[in-house]
Amino acid sequence: MRALVRWVAATAAVVSLAASAACGGDSPATEKVVEFWYYQPTPDQSKQIKQLAKRFEETEPTITVRLTEIPKDDYNTKLSSALGGGRGPDAGYLDQPLMARYANAGQLAEVPAGTITESDFYDGALRTNKISGKLWGIPLQQTTVALFYNRKLVSTPPATWSELVAESARVHRENPNLAGVNVPKGDGFGAWLFPAFVASAGGTMLDESSRRIAFADPPAQEALALWRKLLESSPRQITNSENPFHKGLAAMMFSGPWEVPAIRQQFPQLDFGVAPLPRKDVAASNIGGDNGVVFGKARNPDAAWKWLRFLSDATHNAEFSNITGNFPTNRKAAQAAKINTDPAFKVFVDQLETAQARPTVPEWIQINDEYLAKAIEEGVDGGRSPADALADAAARARKLLGWQ
Amino acid sequence: MNGVHRPSSWHRRRRDALAGFAFTAPAMLHTLVFMLVPAGAALYFSFTEWDMISPARWAGLRNYREILFDSDLYPDFWKSVRVTALYALLSVPASLVTGFVQAYLIDLVRRGQAFYRLVFYLPVITAEAAVAAIWKWLYDPQFGLINAGLDVLGVAGPDWLGTPGVVIPALALIAAWQSGTAMLIFLAGLKGIPRTYYEASEVDGANRWQQLGRITLPLLRPTTFYLVVTGVIAALQVFGIVYVLFGGNAGPERSGLSYVLHLYLFGYRNGAMGAASAMSVLLFVTILLVTAAQFRLVPRQYEG
Repeated sequence: MRALVRWVAATAAVVSLAASAACGGDSPATEKVVEFWYYQPTPDQSKQIKQLAKRFEETEPTITVRLTEIPKDDYNTKLSSALGGGRGPDAGYLDQPLMARYANAGQLAEVPAGTITESDFYDGALRTNKISGKLWGIPLQQTTVALFYNRKLVSTPPATWSELVAESARVHRENPNLAGVNVPKGDGFGAWLFPAFVASAGGTMLDESSRRIAFADPPAQEALALWRKLLESSPRQITNSENPFHKGLAAMMFSGPWEVPAIRQQFPQLDFGVAPLPRKDVAASNIGGDNGVVFGKARNPDAAWKWLRFLSDATHNAEFSNITGNFPTNRKAAQAAKINTDPAFKVFVDQLETAQARPTVPEWIQINDEYLAKAIEEGVDGGRSPADALADAAARARKLLGWQ
Repeated sequence: MNGVHRPSSWHRRRRDALAGFAFTAPAMLHTLVFMLVPAGAALYFSFTEWDMISPARWAGLRNYREILFDSDLYPDFWKSVRVTALYALLSVPASLVTGFVQAYLIDLVRRGQAFYRLVFYLPVITAEAAVAAIWKWLYDPQFGLINAGLDVLGVAGPDWLGTPGVVIPALALIAAWQSGTAMLIFLAGLKGIPRTYYEASEVDGANRWQQLGRITLPLLRPTTFYLVVTGVIAALQVFGIVYVLFGGNAGPERSGLSYVLHLYLFGYRNGAMGAASAMSVLLFVTILLVTAAQFRLVPRQYEG
């Protein structure tokens, strides 16, 4: 029995030692540690980001950046669990539509005045950080969508909605085994693209100042009607195959810059071009991306802001977004970025000028995924009239937001 | 004599009890920390509005009322119930039938039983993500092996994972393919039937079909009952395969929106962990009721 007790005590001692070693123990008082969480990149990207952090540490000898990589799909789950348990990181990425929820929950530190010059940044990206007039984060990288077209099937990319419909119909007429466009579906991704089309028809999604839902108005109905029209020349039986555009089954698609390196590497035989999204009344696009935030319980908020400012400044923001495959949020960085020399990427950079920020209500993800996606599904694939489908979604959103 | 021995036997009994507690402590601790406490917490949070990052606010029965009766706030709740019920209705019989057929055939062969057991069990131990990737390819409407095979027969195959009405049957087919556990348990059941019954019936002139219908199936009733109960419980909680196949989109017209996927999306994507907890409590009660009903209605034993 005594031997057992001794054994248990020894084991416990070893385990606790190991645990404290894993936690790193306490750092010297002079050294400030910034624990930074971000999406797990490829091993190669990871190496480059570590080098970037090392260069930051050289300029700020008292600060150590501890990078923690988390798979993107699990990121929000892990982050909210960690913060809920009171053991979150000091700083990290935060997906644009989550800003309002985290800011309202008191989990974010406000950006100290003078940390950044707001006019240095793209307006769409910056505005995703503003909740009720205050700035809660720094935009680090952003993305948008454009029109991808197969040069073998489409010689001149359509510039307007009517040209898009005509071109899609022509492709399908000339070869019934091909689809004109890989039409977005009623899912979270489709609902994310949708505002670009609504804005092009002169509409918006929400008017937060007057607490009014705008995505059932005529511009949104027209946008939905366009997708439904495109479906006539783009059967799902063809586009439901995996990667229909990449395999040459669909002549066009709406997608983001992450496709460019993917197509070049995996489908080198595909001769494709990228063009601005076809427009109805005005040029418009949507926006996605990640902001850098400092959490309310950060141990060294000053050091954390320095790190975020480093990632978003004119010299390093381009380098950072080049590594991750996104776009700079800093205008000066965008000028310097190598993406400007690549015509495929240049289109996206131009599109970012017209990017529409997403609504900042905390419930937006639910409205996007549960209600708008459903309306798109019903209005495009389900054969309901776009006006009815969107009116239902608007009524649901109104109830959720309490905007009666 | 008794008087002399009592103290030592009492000592021994106490020592045995202590040892028993010591041996079961890890399992009990695990159940307490990782099952009972979280379950109790979920019950508590089901009465609150909670997004995991701000303090929970008491909401009474509001989550339950809204989930069950407000189709504006939860437009797809009842859809997820229907999807899950249909999945259970199709996948449980399908996996029982394939599991039984596999076990019956393995039992018939004289050589290589271990090999066939291993082969038929492989789908069960294959990682869910790999299973989903394989079936995504098999079901591909343009290049999939299944539709290519149907094409040879002159049948135009459907867009399996792209047509709302076909999605659940397609998922049930995957479940049938993954019926290795049912196969193993049926096989054990088959081995438990005394050979003498078959020999006696053979003497009486019974053929294979009569033996199957009059001896094998009736005597497998306890096995079948066990598999039906555990199969239904598992089917009502289906999540992994739909999540990997469809992600948060849940398939065309959300036709693959299983109950647990719906719950997961509300808890982790929409920041409504209170409502998600309420859904999990509702599921728990449903499973309890369904299981109790099965114990009452489904015959468990063979009664001559």
